[in-house]
Amino acid sequence: MILEMNNISKRFGSNEVLKDISFNVDKGEVVSIIGPSGSGKSTLLRCATFLETIDGGEIVYMGKRAAHTDASGNAVYVDHKELRQFRSYCGLVFQQFNLFPHYSILKNLIDAPMHVQGRSKVEAEATAMDLLGKMGIADKADAYPYQLSGGQQQRVAIARALAMKPEILFFDEPTSALDPELTGEVLKVIRRLADEHMTMVVVTHEMPFAKAVSNRVLFMDGGVVVEQGDPISVFENPQEERTKQFLRVFER
Amino acid sequence: MTLSTMLSTMSAGMLRSFAVFTLTLLGSLPLGMVVALLKKSRFGLVRAIINVYISVIRGTPLMLQLLVWYFGPFYLLGINIGDWRFPALILGFVLNYAAYFAEIYRGGIESIPVGQYEAAEVLGYSRTQTFMRIILPQVVKRIMPSVTNEVITLVKDTSLAFTLAYQEVFSLAKQISASQTSFMPFLIAGVFYFVANYVVEFAMSRIEKALDYYK
Ligand SMILES: Nc1ncnc2c1ncn2[C@@H]1O[C@H](COP(=O)(O)OP(=O)(O)O)[C@@H](O)[C@H]1O
Ligand SMILES: [Mg+2]
Repeated sequence: MILEMNNISKRFGSNEVLKDISFNVDKGEVVSIIGPSGSGKSTLLRCATFLETIDGGEIVYMGKRAAHTDASGNAVYVDHKELRQFRSYCGLVFQQFNLFPHYSILKNLIDAPMHVQGRSKVEAEATAMDLLGKMGIADKADAYPYQLSGGQQQRVAIARALAMKPEILFFDEPTSALDPELTGEVLKVIRRLADEHMTMVVVTHEMPFAKAVSNRVLFMDGGVVVEQGDPISVFENPQEERTKQFLRVFER
Repeated sequence: MTLSTMLSTMSAGMLRSFAVFTLTLLGSLPLGMVVALLKKSRFGLVRAIINVYISVIRGTPLMLQLLVWYFGPFYLLGINIGDWRFPALILGFVLNYAAYFAEIYRGGIESIPVGQYEAAEVLGYSRTQTFMRIILPQVVKRIMPSVTNEVITLVKDTSLAFTLAYQEVFSLAKQISASQTSFMPFLIAGVFYFVANYVVEFAMSRIEKALDYYK
């Protein structure tokens, strides 16, 4: 098991955003998370990647506990140094790319491996060029983010996350900020990673894509996992009324 | 008095103005960053002190502040420091400009999208690394126009050093003009300020161009 999230709860003020959510990701698994906006999908990814702290529950990576609820009911995390180790297990691709605009594409890919992980420049560059090649943008190594299309920028963002050699990669609506004609090139890259058995969790509204690439689909609504299962059963034969309603919107 | 003696007398004043200008920048540019970061401190007391400092500095004339720094130790605290004129002058200028630069830095830091911090955090950068490698370089680019404005204001503000009887170029011009009944010293001073600002604008535009490689 790469990731186990057990009984996760998260509040913003009085707004209970995640309500006792549990979910696991196995090595090599591709999990899609679907659900209406505001259902807590981003928050779940942000808790898994330590951008948000949970209020209760347990986060376990590779069998090691990063956070748990203590006897008095408070969520406690491992200390700063250990948390860095846990951070290195996971990568996150944002809806808005969030590339570093002042760095060239190559520098975007080698800076963290060199200055966070202490890899040599030669090694970091070799990894980076290899990844850019896979993403089909090796010729953009010396360009700056503003010179690239949205689809190219998102592929760079995926490469930047992969350059850290994470155990698991999270995507938060990776194509939602893109023009429709550019979503295909990004989805193709993710599909390729799935073929290579990269462990991934993808929040998406691209239903055909979710159906095609995932081993498992989670439908979230109102801070709970309403239904989950293999893509065929969730998409073709949903059990819950809320799932049916949600999927109907995407049919035509 | 010939034009050349006038010029050579006044060049001493130009050097003194230049000294105030340089020392003020050397002190206030980094101090402003410290102030800007302290303003985001975890400790409420620190933030409160910084807020009072910034609003007092911005709410009172620089001339008055210079007088307070010079006379304050004696009248307010009863201490006699001796020849404290020049240090008081530089202290007054540095603390004044640091407050303005701090506000510019703060605005620049706050204008960086939160996604930059989050991307850095997920990649495992420490807080210091995030600031030094990711945030600060982008802030520098964004604040260049405001910094240029402030530096140009400083060139002209150096004339306020006369408040503490510091013989910078403008007070010399007034003296020589009075004793020689000539308008020439003012023209010379005017040209001096203008040229100085021209150099500032040129230098700053070069820096802005150098930062133009990204958007
Ligand atoms: N930083 C935040 N502060 C307060 N409320 C938040 C914050 N982030 C998200 N929320 C709230 O949490 C709920 C779930 O948001 P989110 O996880 O972004 O949903 P989704 O990604 O499924 O659209 C929403 O009601 C949203 O308003
Ligand atoms: Mg979201």
